[in-house]
Amino acid sequence: MSQHAYAGNTAVVGIGATDFSKSSGRSELRLAVEACVAACEDAGVDPSRVNGLSTFTMENNTENEVMRSLGIQELTHFSRIHFGGGAPCATVQYAAMAVNEGVADYVLCYRAFNERSGRRFGSGVQDQPAGATTEQAQYAWTSPYGLLTPASWVAMFATRIMHEFGVTSEDFGRVAVADRAHAATNPAAHFYNRPITLEEHQASRWIVEPLHLLDCCQETDGGQAILVTTLERARDLKQKPVVISAAAQGMADQQQMMRSYFRDSLVGLPEMATCARQLWETSGLGPDDIRTAVIYDHFTPFVLPQLEEFGFCGRGEAKDFIAEGNIDLGGRLPVNTHGGQLGEAYLHGMNGIAEGVRQVRGSAVNQLDAVGHVLVTAGTGVPTSALIVSQP
Amino acid sequence: MAEQALDQQLQEWVGRRGRPQVARDPVNQSLIRRWVDVFEDDNPCYVDPDFAARSVYGQIVSPPTMLDVWDKPGIKMRRDAESPQANVLIALEAAGFTSTVAVNSELEFVRPIRLGEVIHSVQTLESVSEEKQTGLGRGHFVTTRSVYTNGEGDHVGDVVFRILKFMPGTGRQAPPGDGPGGPDPDPSRRPRPGINLDNQFFWDGARRHELRIQSCRSCSTLHFPPTPRCSACGSFDMGHIVASGRGRLYSWAAPHHPQANGFRYPVLAGLVELEEGTRLVSNIVGCRREHLRIGMPLEVCWLDSHPALEAGADDSRGPITIPQFRPARPARRTETLTISEVAEGDELPLCPIPLTPTLIISCAIATLDWFDAHHDPKMAVARGSKDIFANIHTSLGLSQRWISDWAGPEAIFRNIRVRLGAPDHPGDIMTMTGRVSAADRASGAITVAFAGYNSLGDHVTGTADLLLPGGSAWPAKESK
Repeated sequence: MSQHAYAGNTAVVGIGATDFSKSSGRSELRLAVEACVAACEDAGVDPSRVNGLSTFTMENNTENEVMRSLGIQELTHFSRIHFGGGAPCATVQYAAMAVNEGVADYVLCYRAFNERSGRRFGSGVQDQPAGATTEQAQYAWTSPYGLLTPASWVAMFATRIMHEFGVTSEDFGRVAVADRAHAATNPAAHFYNRPITLEEHQASRWIVEPLHLLDCCQETDGGQAILVTTLERARDLKQKPVVISAAAQGMADQQQMMRSYFRDSLVGLPEMATCARQLWETSGLGPDDIRTAVIYDHFTPFVLPQLEEFGFCGRGEAKDFIAEGNIDLGGRLPVNTHGGQLGEAYLHGMNGIAEGVRQVRGSAVNQLDAVGHVLVTAGTGVPTSALIVSQP
Repeated sequence: MAEQALDQQLQEWVGRRGRPQVARDPVNQSLIRRWVDVFEDDNPCYVDPDFAARSVYGQIVSPPTMLDVWDKPGIKMRRDAESPQANVLIALEAAGFTSTVAVNSELEFVRPIRLGEVIHSVQTLESVSEEKQTGLGRGHFVTTRSVYTNGEGDHVGDVVFRILKFMPGTGRQAPPGDGPGGPDPDPSRRPRPGINLDNQFFWDGARRHELRIQSCRSCSTLHFPPTPRCSACGSFDMGHIVASGRGRLYSWAAPHHPQANGFRYPVLAGLVELEEGTRLVSNIVGCRREHLRIGMPLEVCWLDSHPALEAGADDSRGPITIPQFRPARPARRTETLTISEVAEGDELPLCPIPLTPTLIISCAIATLDWFDAHHDPKMAVARGSKDIFANIHTSLGLSQRWISDWAGPEAIFRNIRVRLGAPDHPGDIMTMTGRVSAADRASGAITVAFAGYNSLGDHVTGTADLLLPGGSAWPAKESK
């Protein structure tokens, strides 16, 4: 049984983001600092009181430069978690552990980049020289064969999911349609006022068969920060505290970086199952207690096995769960009410944590009623993380 | 004016019949054996006297598509001054239409040809087309019909044969956009694998065209990707086995965008489950996207992708070769299908045919075709081709072998009709694909519609009518 000591005793007290765009016109460091300052202002905490920073790899802004710009005199906690988009919820977990242990008082979790106007993340590894470190040499099993991009790595799983469960491209498309419908009413979203139809999804060009263009999120320029402290301190701050009920990391079963093709089955996400087990055990909650979920959606196919791993439906049933409208705003489990990464912005999941916080606070643009607990998941196909935020 | 004069000259020969040609040798086992060897056709009806005696034929028969091989003069080919076709070809060559490709061949088999028969043929010039612009160049289609008999005058078959005589260098240019601007497909520009002490054995094996799988020397557990310690027994003593190279397609992805150098798009990437149990990612070659099926049988082939790096680099042991997979060649059926086992719409199994120079040259010569563009690369280039190319009898014979391997040794070919398109050049793979387009339960007659495609497109498209046992048209066994 997991019983995480920080769970229930720590809170998110501030969220802050820059605008989300295709060309920010500012440096990545400035985006990071703007987001951090905004999170502090949201919380009513002067940035100089922050003494912990938590981020994750594929982040170009070093902790010391962020610290300098924020006017922080000393840091007692700084953690950088591996495996990129799998780690956003883990930054909150590390922050919660640090403040609960008394290692730090206020920890800022941040992500910021010019991933669209700078080097495009979706272009993958094609222009990188082959290295032979343990990590680089794993690409020898895929790159010489033309699997060079995140979309291509995910597509191999998607084909198998389609084969085993009779899932169709339209089933994937319904995820994109729901996300874009939610983004359409979110002024912060890149795709504000731009919903799509299933027909448009089907007509969009191939990126990597079986993935259409509209199965793939688009790179974003922007930054997002989350401020964490103890629940005790949180009660004296500007916003209603949003309690961290549970958070977890997961790595499992022949794990590879987006290319776990050598495990027995490709239709599940065992690393997400590891997260789910810890979240339910730590929080004492179950799928029926979750009012809404932010499900990591860099590519549509992996939304399906996530719904299954968390028990919102049975194995292989996610296509029906989605087709029945359950992930829409009026459904059993509205998903990605901000528009997700397909609709709002691709901040490697950090913006999804902010949406979870807003739903608990009651300040989301597509606000749901009676939100007690929100599930947020992180990157799929990679070693990952997840969390639950709740009413105090 | 000159064109009109040429047309008039050509049309004068149309409808005329040439002198009978007599094969130099009777139908014989030696030439059949050479043919079945190079075509890898193991049908025992052509070589095994005991099997053939028990078969519907009652004795050894010639492979059907050798019908118009028996009367070929081989390297001693001389044009007969009285042949209407020869006269037309001479006139066309004088007018600049010097290159030749075969485009259609339609073989009708009246009855099987037996050892010892002396094949006679009489050719009629059926038509000469007006000048046409084709992909290869401006030219004329020349069509002949030949009637084949044995020495006693028994009608054994007919062949309609069409060639294109064209002017080299007058073909259509490649469409713009196909050239510079896109990625360079040269495989040496693919990402180079990062080789280290953990995976070195795999790449050393690949250079020798061995597909290696790491194996624990203590407990024989297989691991992919490789690992320094066996997770099953804890041993650090890791070796490898050489895989059979056979496997099945477990999943696939077809990247279209973004495009990188070293690949042709869309790329077909497959996750292959080897029969030993481990999986690996590779490219699926010799297979179109629409023919990919999860579970399809595959076999390894090799791409010599990257030249050696200079000494001192991580993989300085030599050039890099990467495994690829193509559809596995289907096994030959030894019990002939009966008509009740076949239905319209049935698909024939994909069959890859690796187009080695040896195959192209030996098949041309086994069909007594010494035209230089089938064996001499310089002459092939001089005649407007990028390399040597397979002759039409190769396409016919390979189609026959593949259909016969599917239907069984006694399935009787009534005809085979093919049209050629993209040439079969060395280094490519031709993949046969087809389906039963008609099946008559009562008579036992079926039609197979088929195509053989290579990386340039459809090389051969055609149909074949066959008779299967179990229907009213199945003949009584022939007595010797």
